Amino acid sequence: MNTISLKKLFNFEKTPLNVVMAFVTVALVAAFFAGAVNYILHGHHAYNVTRQHPWGLLISMYVFFVVSSTGLCIISSIGHVFGIPEFQQIGKRAIAGAIITISSGFAVIGLEIGHPVTMLIYNVLTPGLTSAIWWMGTLYGLYLTFICLEFFFLAIKENHTLSKIFGICGLLVGLAAHSNLGAVFGFLVSRPSANGVFYPVYFILSAMITGCYLIFLMYGFRYKMNFPEKVAIMLVKLGKILGMLLAVLIFFEAWKILTALYGDMPERAATILHAIKHPNFWFGELTLGMLIPFVVILLSNAKAIKATVYASLAGMVGIFFMRYGLVHDTLLYPMTTLKRAEYELAPTFVEYFPSATEFAIGLGGIGLSLFLYYLADKIFNLDETAHH
Amino acid sequence: MARYGMALNYKNCINCRACESACKEENGVLLLKDHYRIWVGVKEAEGQFPNISIASQTYHPSQCQHCDNAPCQQVCPTNATYYGKDGMVMVDPNKCILCTYCINACPYDARYVDQRTMTVDKCTFCSDTRLAAGETTTACQATCPTKVRVFGDLDDPNSEISVLLANKEYRQVKEHLGTKPKLFYIL
Ligand code: SF4
Ligand code: SF4
Ligand code: SF4
Repeated sequence: MNTISLKKLFNFEKTPLNVVMAFVTVALVAAFFAGAVNYILHGHHAYNVTRQHPWGLLISMYVFFVVSSTGLCIISSIGHVFGIPEFQQIGKRAIAGAIITISSGFAVIGLEIGHPVTMLIYNVLTPGLTSAIWWMGTLYGLYLTFICLEFFFLAIKENHTLSKIFGICGLLVGLAAHSNLGAVFGFLVSRPSANGVFYPVYFILSAMITGCYLIFLMYGFRYKMNFPEKVAIMLVKLGKILGMLLAVLIFFEAWKILTALYGDMPERAATILHAIKHPNFWFGELTLGMLIPFVVILLSNAKAIKATVYASLAGMVGIFFMRYGLVHDTLLYPMTTLKRAEYELAPTFVEYFPSATEFAIGLGGIGLSLFLYYLADKIFNLDETAHH
Repeated sequence: MARYGMALNYKNCINCRACESACKEENGVLLLKDHYRIWVGVKEAEGQFPNISIASQTYHPSQCQHCDNAPCQQVCPTNATYYGKDGMVMVDPNKCILCTYCINACPYDARYVDQRTMTVDKCTFCSDTRLAAGETTTACQATCPTKVRVFGDLDDPNSEISVLLANKEYRQVKEHLGTKPKLFYIL
């Protein structure tokens, strides 16, 4: 831990990239607070969610952040928990990132849940043990505690045994929490396109991919694309892991889509067909989120680290569309229970587009993450400390 | 304890929507978009003139099914949605955190957000308004001009609804989901 003055804290090298990042961060943080104020003034009226589409961008962004967090935690555990030497260097940076992203996620969801205080009280007093949301929330609370302790013993009061123990606990609880988040969607018997085993498993897989993308981005920024040899070796290996994970994901998605379409099951087939025809899917999720990074890694045999960093940026945009699609596609099919031509209109797919406030809070959460990461990088030494 | 349900002679429904109005009046449901506890589903007549199928034009009044195995209850993180007395699925606004998970989980679109309390609301079979005051009918039932609705105790073999269900064919909505709904559409 470094003791630094406030002045030094906000002093950084004025390279064009740093200035752009600073500008983006400040703008996004400002957007977050503007959105939060608007929400406090107008409540849920500030959001475009409806009876037919009760979840929107903020739920997507919450998922986006906690997927990032779990992903970073899983990837950091390769070195830190499983002891693969090349990966030990990412431990601190990844765990800091995991704490930061989940905190941003909690900030966003805090503005989505209508009564967060009631939640804290009745989660404990009358727990809904059959609710995937209850398990997800409770386990994520525990997860955050564990990874904070892990970070404490990694970066503040170095203790390898304790950091490893809390690392293992964080990893296990994080995996449980994250697959429960998948189950929040997978358990929906009312939504044939989401119901089933796919999401709980896919969430873990896509978390690992998100973790890889974020490591590439953090290291690309940290070393301004001039990687020391030790880092380069690690990133090449990570690139190979990422390539393999992407191949599995593409395979998974392909079969999910084929099974959904096959036999034209009511609700399910039409929903998935509608979803994959939208550019959010074929351009956002598929091209940006999977194909571009996969092709870059495949063609360069994972050796083109710089290209992979840029591809990771595309990948993260794709991950955003994956989260958006997860929520929106689940709610696409109209619940027209016996309302077959209500008010002379035949039911259509449910439409939703986030309001300005939702965008401000949701994307502003990224600003919170960037700002906290900047602080963490200044205050703590996130690079590997020399082992004795 | 009773186990209340409702049978609907839906073929008698004339789509007058008196039930929708009566429900709003009785239970103080706001006159806003998305605010409705009950509704009438319309299926317009099929066919081209002059071969229009009159029989294909139907009206299906619907509302919360008070499922015996309610997905909305299972997913509620704080047990704000609970099985109340007489088999009714109820929401405790003091415990509802407005996660809206139940709205997503209900296969029948029976729930909405009440803008006053900012908690989830839905049909209660008038239990806190009429039944609590000793009435034996719901507002929608009492007002219906063509006697579409029969409300009563499914566990009492002599109740009007039990006799009706014992003697008539009926169908239910999305029962393959295992929700054990308690609305019965008399064929
Ligand atoms: S009051 Fe009766 S007839 Fe009128 S719409 Fe309602 S159920 Fe149909
Ligand atoms: S119809 Fe919907 S709201 Fe009513 S009990 Fe069933 S699942 Fe719950
Ligand atoms: S919105 Fe309220 S009633 Fe519905 S699941 Fe959440 S806490 Fe339960």
